[in-house]
Amino acid sequence: MVWQTLKLSLLVVSIATIVISVAGILLGYLLAKREFRGKNLLDAVLTLPMVLPPTVTGYYLIILLGKRGVLGRVLYDLTGWTVTFTWIGAVIAATVIAFPLMVKSARAAIESVNADYEIASYVMGRSEIETFFRITLPLASRGILAGVVLSFARAFGEFGATLMIAGNIPGKTQTMPLAIYEAVVSGEDEQAKWLALILTGIAVVVVYLTNRLSRPRRVD
Amino acid sequence: MLKARFKKHLGRANSRALTIDVDLKAAQGITVLFGASGAGKTTILRAIAGILAPDEGRIVVGDEVYFDSAAGIVIPMQKRKVGYVFQNHLLFPHMTAEQNVLYGIRTGVRRNPRERARELLLMLGIEKTADRLPHQLSGGEQQRVALARALATDPSVMLLDEPLSAVDVSTRSRLLEEIVSIQRRSRIPFLYVTHNHSEALRLGDSMMVIEKGRVCQEGSPMEIFNAPRTASIAKVVGTENMFVGRILQHQFEDGTTIVGVDSCRIAAPLNALPVDSRVTIGIRSDDILVSLERLTQISARNVLEGVIKNIFIDVDKTELMVSCGIDLKVSVTRSAVRQLNLKIGSTVFLLIKARSVHLLE
Repeated sequence: MVWQTLKLSLLVVSIATIVISVAGILLGYLLAKREFRGKNLLDAVLTLPMVLPPTVTGYYLIILLGKRGVLGRVLYDLTGWTVTFTWIGAVIAATVIAFPLMVKSARAAIESVNADYEIASYVMGRSEIETFFRITLPLASRGILAGVVLSFARAFGEFGATLMIAGNIPGKTQTMPLAIYEAVVSGEDEQAKWLALILTGIAVVVVYLTNRLSRPRRVD
Repeated sequence: MLKARFKKHLGRANSRALTIDVDLKAAQGITVLFGASGAGKTTILRAIAGILAPDEGRIVVGDEVYFDSAAGIVIPMQKRKVGYVFQNHLLFPHMTAEQNVLYGIRTGVRRNPRERARELLLMLGIEKTADRLPHQLSGGEQQRVALARALATDPSVMLLDEPLSAVDVSTRSRLLEEIVSIQRRSRIPFLYVTHNHSEALRLGDSMMVIEKGRVCQEGSPMEIFNAPRTASIAKVVGTENMFVGRILQHQFEDGTTIVGVDSCRIAAPLNALPVDSRVTIGIRSDDILVSLERLTQISARNVLEGVIKNIFIDVDKTELMVSCGIDLKVSVTRSAVRQLNLKIGSTVFLLIKARSVHLLE
């Protein structure tokens, strides 16, 4: 039971972290480098899940993606399928909740790279995409990795929004935090202890990694 | 051949606004852009490289038009063949010296980029540092890698922005010679920004003094340093002694004009200004000799008695401040200070040729 929950949690969090990382770096780059209309609004909307109670974010996800939701209805009419009470729903909840952390870390990391390096690269005839991959990304890599680790941790601990949209179905949508809650409520102390210890172990590793990554590198 | 004529208005946040308005031509050879910081030298380089776009004008390198506001041409910086050596070298900190140089080689241009990179490192005498990261290199080595990287782009023009400002004196002198020899071999125009006299003198085939965004004097560095056209240029190029005085008398048979500055009478080359008109004179501290006794059998027209008020000793120059009615800065060697036993309070005689007294507009 514990292993099944852990496996599901890891699957959900892995997919969420990959989506978060790719989209977060892209969006962080746009926010760091470009001026466009509605930039501040976008920034505010992206920050909301960090500030709102997760249950409220979960509620909005139901409004948006539920069987009778704004987008969910279209999906349901077309395919007869809905994300509510599926592990995909858990992925979406974890992604939305942890996404702001990644965008903010990526943006800060990219902004901290001396833009003159990028100009030097352009003057040497390199395109923006090549410059991004060979100069900006490597120089911002520590901050970005710290962001990845943080959002991984946040996604791993996700509870409220996941409960709202994916429910708490053992073996199907029950992730570690949900399993701990259930174990405690139903008096299964042994199980609760092991689940809590595993989550704590993961948290310790995360803190260690973030500290290591956020230590300034010896350059210049 | 580089031809750049353009205007660019810079609204600066913290200081006064500056308008760059230049018309410059640089042939094969080293052209020094000389000026105080904030004069707009770097902006000129950035406009040529395409890092910023002028408001109007035309920039041509060889037969390629990089910018032409009238024809609506703006070639992006990626497409310009410009080698740029930045003031703080901007070597990519996560790449080794060799990787930095390789990065400069355009994709698909060279059949064997690694060989070319090695060749450039060898040419600059830094082949041993190929596998080191920039922070493991000395200041001089960093600038050599930066030079190699800029040359790796096969540029049609090289722009160098105070490349030696962070390099120690002895390395600087060796690098200066190498820059000259690299230019002679590459046969492309080098635009070299500096505010250092010895760099300008040793490198410059020609020189332009930049002041407030404009070219205010052009010529060989020697010409300009010896005879700055205006008082403000004199200040920029470092004519250390400048005084406002009055024309006292013309000595036509002698070919000199006597200028009165406070209580001093100073002989300058003959000029056509009416007696009693106000003039500014400039005397470079290098053009003044120091003697412990009053020499009479000497050709110098000016022999001024004075007292040393101060002695400044710096890495590459020693300067006396001598008060002889007016305060004159005199540049001497350290051995001269020792041998003549010069001290604050010593009485000395200053010898200045009339020719070394420059009348400034």
